[in-house]
Amino acid sequence: MNVVHHNAAGSGFLSPTGVEITFVLVGLVVLGAALVTVTTRQLVHAALWLVVALGGIAVEYLLLTAEFIAWVQVLIYVGSVVVLLLFGLMLTKAPIGRSPDADSENRWVALGVALAAAGTLVWVVADAFRSTWIDVHPANGPGATAVTGSSLFRFWVLPFEALSVLLLAALVGAIVLSRRRPEGRDR
Amino acid sequence: MNDTLDALLRLVAVLVVFLVLPLLVGQTEHKVMAHMQGRLGPMYAGGFHGWAQLVADGVKFAQKEDVVPADADRRVFQLAPAVALLPYLVVLIAIPVGPHGFVGEAVDAGLFFVLAVMGVGVLGSLMAGWASANKFSLLGALRSAAQLMAYELPMLLAAASVAMAAGTLSLPGIVGQYHWWWTLWQLMGGLVFFTAGLAELQRPPFDMPVADSEIIFGAYTEYTGMRFALFLLSEYAGIVVLCGLTTVLFLGGWHGPWAGSVGWLWTLLKTAVLAFVVIWLRVSYPRLREDQLMKFAWTVLIPVSLAQIALTGVVKVVTS
Amino acid sequence: MPVPGAGLAKGLAVTLRTMTKKSVTDRYPDVLPELPPRSRGVIALFEENCTVCMLCARECPDWCIYIDSHKETVPAATPGGRERSRNVLDRFAIDFSLCMYCGICIEVCPFDALFWSPEFEYAETDILDLTHERDKLREWMWTVPAPPALDPAAEEPKEVAAAHKAAEKAAAEPPGEDGA
Repeated sequence: MNVVHHNAAGSGFLSPTGVEITFVLVGLVVLGAALVTVTTRQLVHAALWLVVALGGIAVEYLLLTAEFIAWVQVLIYVGSVVVLLLFGLMLTKAPIGRSPDADSENRWVALGVALAAAGTLVWVVADAFRSTWIDVHPANGPGATAVTGSSLFRFWVLPFEALSVLLLAALVGAIVLSRRRPEGRDR
Repeated sequence: MNDTLDALLRLVAVLVVFLVLPLLVGQTEHKVMAHMQGRLGPMYAGGFHGWAQLVADGVKFAQKEDVVPADADRRVFQLAPAVALLPYLVVLIAIPVGPHGFVGEAVDAGLFFVLAVMGVGVLGSLMAGWASANKFSLLGALRSAAQLMAYELPMLLAAASVAMAAGTLSLPGIVGQYHWWWTLWQLMGGLVFFTAGLAELQRPPFDMPVADSEIIFGAYTEYTGMRFALFLLSEYAGIVVLCGLTTVLFLGGWHGPWAGSVGWLWTLLKTAVLAFVVIWLRVSYPRLREDQLMKFAWTVLIPVSLAQIALTGVVKVVTS
Repeated sequence: MPVPGAGLAKGLAVTLRTMTKKSVTDRYPDVLPELPPRSRGVIALFEENCTVCMLCARECPDWCIYIDSHKETVPAATPGGRERSRNVLDRFAIDFSLCMYCGICIEVCPFDALFWSPEFEYAETDILDLTHERDKLREWMWTVPAPPALDPAAEEPKEVAAAHKAAEKAAAEPPGEDGA
């Protein structure tokens, strides 16, 4: 797909290569879509803008040659989570047009939380990597499928398995909650 | 030939395939379905056995008025057909036809790419169903979503089994690893994949989201003219993609006698046979009920695909 | 014990077998249908046989036959003989928008003036145009086929049977004793 050559010495921050310009532009689109998602009064439109935001992030992954993660993003978030979200919205009789009560009156708190979360993430990432350059050469760079797979199962097996146990617990919980109770008991 | 021109030519070729093969499948469906029901099917358009029927249909669709219901959500309504159709076009790029790079664009995680993008298509149905402001459309969209949720899982599991067997996610890589006995080894997975794919395309007998006797035409009820034609086209493009994928994953793609020179022909032939099976199933079986569909997915397909993964794992460990 | 999935396979087999068979579609405007004998397409009038007895018009359950006529006087054939009057047909029309193709008119006609024709392509865009006059009905007479042969084991037609009987009787009785 996209070939990115990084010479650690040659390329400064935001050197104007096509890929980096695209990266920033897509990033702006994602930010805009995310803003619309949380501010629009039309519920289903919010979900659809969420698709744009999540899809944009997948494009960002692609631009970083993290192909596998990008497709996982599309499969899980765009293909499943948003579909589930829309499914739920449709069951709630979401109206076409504005919902006047689609405002929890928590705008400022939400903004504060969002800024705090963003600040923390940016700080953590910047602090962790500092000026380290990661070569994202596509052939067998850190984003390639084989490399992702082997690092996942070689170095991150425990978190991976812990997550699967968590998901299993959620699954069992969902089944227990949705099971019909026997007649005459706890009605 | 420089790289840009090469890529451009490949994309144009994929576009041509995208525009021709679905029509071919559609025409075959007209004729095969008719003869399976003891009829002749279209006989007039184009002169010889109605070969140009779908071209005539296209002209008709283009002439029709493009109606957007007054209470509909205009932009979402108008955007939905494109969202339904484009994923299949994108997927077609990654399906290998022959050896030696006979593919639109070799994608590293091709299998994942294909399955991920195919899942996006259902968003088109959901958008159409919700934006139509019609209860039948909404019901159709809900059924689409429920069906996708239920059938995406067995499809992924069956595909994962093939990826395990081949040790790669790249589609040309999977075909390259193929041996004839894989078809038997992965038989359960192949059946699950094909069935789940049918359900994801909403083809009969899994066409509850568009069940005409219950909910008119599901999410597409309010559509007319070209936008409706795009939805139909996406269904047939979906058949091409599903059959192509099943061929690549389970039937060995271009493998066959003289694969070096006529490999692409083998792929097309296998795809065509599968497309025939899709039509055949449509003619032979009645539509399932919605709850039967869900039950079938969760109680049959998923256990079978899990068993296939276990089998694949055991064989893989034993033989390596 | 039934094999699981046998029904599914059977369904597939049925459709596949049908596909290989010849289809039953009639390609009507291109290929005209082969109609069975005695097909009831339209009622034709052999007006030379009509004596304006009005039986058909009276028996018609739908009252869809219209007949106008006048009397003409035929001068005596022999000198001093009586003048005779004769009915002359002025109008004979059948309204095929009312006709229910029962064929009673054809059955009751004592003079063999009405016949079934297999012709069926006379659809019109206006219901009034379905009333067809005598010239049209006469034209349809040309499309009436010869009566089909009798079934092998059928009884002889009455006229033929009577003639046979008479012939046998004549043969059985010795000549000359023909009294009467």
